[in-house]
Amino acid sequence: MRRALLTIAALELRTRLRDGTALVIAVVVPVALATLFSLALGGDDPPLKATVGIVDLDRGEFPASVRREVTASAELKGSVTLRDLPSRDAAARALDADEIGSAIVFPAGFSGSVGAGEGGRIDVLTSPRSPLAGVVARAVVDRISALVDARTLAVRAVLLAGVPGGQVKELVERNGAAGPALTLGGDPLAGGKVDLSVYYGSGMAALFAFFVVGASFRGLLTERKLGTLDRMRAGPLAVWVPFAGKAVVGFALALVSVCVTWAASVLVSGATWGDPPAVLAVLVAHVLAAAAITMLVTSRVRTDAQADGVIMVVSFVMAFLGGSLVPMHNLPGVLQAAARLTPNGWTSAALTELAGGGTGLADVAGPIAVLCAIALAAGGLAVAGLKKGMLL
Amino acid sequence: MTPPTSTATSTTATTVTTPALACQGLAKRYGDLVAVQDVGFSIAAGQAYGLLGPNGAGKTTTISMLVGLLRPDAGGVTVGGVDLAAEPMRAKARLGYVPQEVALYPELTGRENLRFFGRLFGLSRRELPGRIEEVLDLVGLAGRADSKLGTYSGGMRRRINIGAALLHRPEVLILDEPTVGVDPQSRNAILEGVERLVAGGMSLLYTSHYMEEVERVCDRVAIIDHGRIIADGTREELISLVGSHDKVELSLDGDVETALAKLRAVEGVVEGARTGGTSIRLITEGGRRLLPSLITAVDGCATVTATRVIEPDLEATFLHLTGSTLRD
Repeated sequence: MRRALLTIAALELRTRLRDGTALVIAVVVPVALATLFSLALGGDDPPLKATVGIVDLDRGEFPASVRREVTASAELKGSVTLRDLPSRDAAARALDADEIGSAIVFPAGFSGSVGAGEGGRIDVLTSPRSPLAGVVARAVVDRISALVDARTLAVRAVLLAGVPGGQVKELVERNGAAGPALTLGGDPLAGGKVDLSVYYGSGMAALFAFFVVGASFRGLLTERKLGTLDRMRAGPLAVWVPFAGKAVVGFALALVSVCVTWAASVLVSGATWGDPPAVLAVLVAHVLAAAAITMLVTSRVRTDAQADGVIMVVSFVMAFLGGSLVPMHNLPGVLQAAARLTPNGWTSAALTELAGGGTGLADVAGPIAVLCAIALAAGGLAVAGLKKGMLL
Repeated sequence: MTPPTSTATSTTATTVTTPALACQGLAKRYGDLVAVQDVGFSIAAGQAYGLLGPNGAGKTTTISMLVGLLRPDAGGVTVGGVDLAAEPMRAKARLGYVPQEVALYPELTGRENLRFFGRLFGLSRRELPGRIEEVLDLVGLAGRADSKLGTYSGGMRRRINIGAALLHRPEVLILDEPTVGVDPQSRNAILEGVERLVAGGMSLLYTSHYMEEVERVCDRVAIIDHGRIIADGTREELISLVGSHDKVELSLDGDVETALAKLRAVEGVVEGARTGGTSIRLITEGGRRLLPSLITAVDGCATVTATRVIEPDLEATFLHLTGSTLRD
């Protein structure tokens, strides 16, 4: 049976290598895209620079606190510069002209409104051309929002307790809800600090793994159309041999594809993906999951053309939701939750962890386990479908 | 003629031989559609067995079950005495399957296709080159072995399709309508090749809806219709189902009534009647042999201007058994 398996695998490999398109999809495109992202988004120590505009129509304690905190922040020193702007329109114009990367707009009376327990509203203007500045502005506003919530709650509680209005401010501040003393929580650059070339490089690797491994399973449908699959199944070999011969080649090519993308990212931009054995383990687990999912697709469609279409749709949806195309921290909360349903999401999370300072396999054991579980579940469903469709 | 058999062995006076291929009680349904029901037959070693039926009669479904592509809902198959369900690998090693459509890789050459399937079906690297040459010679494609299959004509592709099934020297060759869509010259070449295989002692199951092919190649025929085998026997046995009498049609010039009376008196004429103004149809025993006597009999009262002898054949048998022609 080993000889039959090797014979089928050899033909599959030869067919795939003869097909120039396959080589392009497996190696050229992911490497080219990863390289482009590397060149566009920088290497290990990217020159992260951002200017955040401040529109202070409030002239109160909160804007002053923001200025103090950003200026004093060690993490932001040298990376983030504040620039005062007179109005929201002026901020929008500066943003359009790429003079600033984002802007925080404090409306008139904001500090007073918060002090009276009525809350307030801050606007953030961002530009897709400066994701770093957007990350900083949102981090600042998130922190202000938390403070405003606390302050509003405290003021309302004191008022309900019957304290006269004139004594509320003093009472609240004396009991710890001092308000504008802003402290930026954690590292406000957490979303932008991981080398984006690693992020997009791994994203491309994760996306194209689907296409590469999917092509082999799609090949089963082509063989069924040609009649060669039936000829094999009528011969003296176990029914799983044609399937296994193709699966082995698809898996190996997809693994080569993701590893070449990884190597190109490291060699071209000097990016660091993290501990190599751990990175390899994550990539292997991802390819397994991608193989199982494309196998499931193959088991549910009738023709190879249908398989092409569905695999493409599934791959891009997984890539989008899983952060292979758009960084997950830029996605709304619902989509960030949806990322947990995709192998790309877990792969992205694991590789981000490793690139961001994770030390090894132990740090990514969870995502690897989830990827393996996805592979098992999809693979089990696929086998049932493949048997029904006489592909196995 | 014998009824459809469900026995797994054929007997002679003193010995019991294991059939090359036997099936019994095969059934397959798809929802409410009964594709095959209670199909059974036995092919002796060296025998060429035809499965004759119109499109949709159940031939391909039956073959799919015989080669293990479809699991029957009921019934079983043995190949050289080996149970296909119990020992599929051993049973399949004895079978050569030629699918209805050419099932090879168009981007590979003829030789590469044969090498691939030869390796797949267990031939060693050492014996494979020699066996490929033998098969190429057998199917008459040695000169085009290194051309890509995509450049072959339809007939050549059909021949290499057969060759791929012969590589592992099967005991039984199963051909599923191997001449569909090929030109007469290629069809003849294919049939000659099949005849050589049978002459060499290979057992054969040949399905077709072409009566003349089955009559030419097979020494035993089953007629299948609506998923059931409705008759099984040698050509002569099947033809005898519609009677052994030939029909002779004569066109006469002269006194037709007198001529008819004289013809009825000829030995071997069973019945006679006028079928038109000057035409007579006779039911005879040995129609073509009687023609000289018939012409002499009417001498003096009429002249025979045209004759037509209609002998019973499988087409007539099929019509008799199913009420429709094979091409319906």
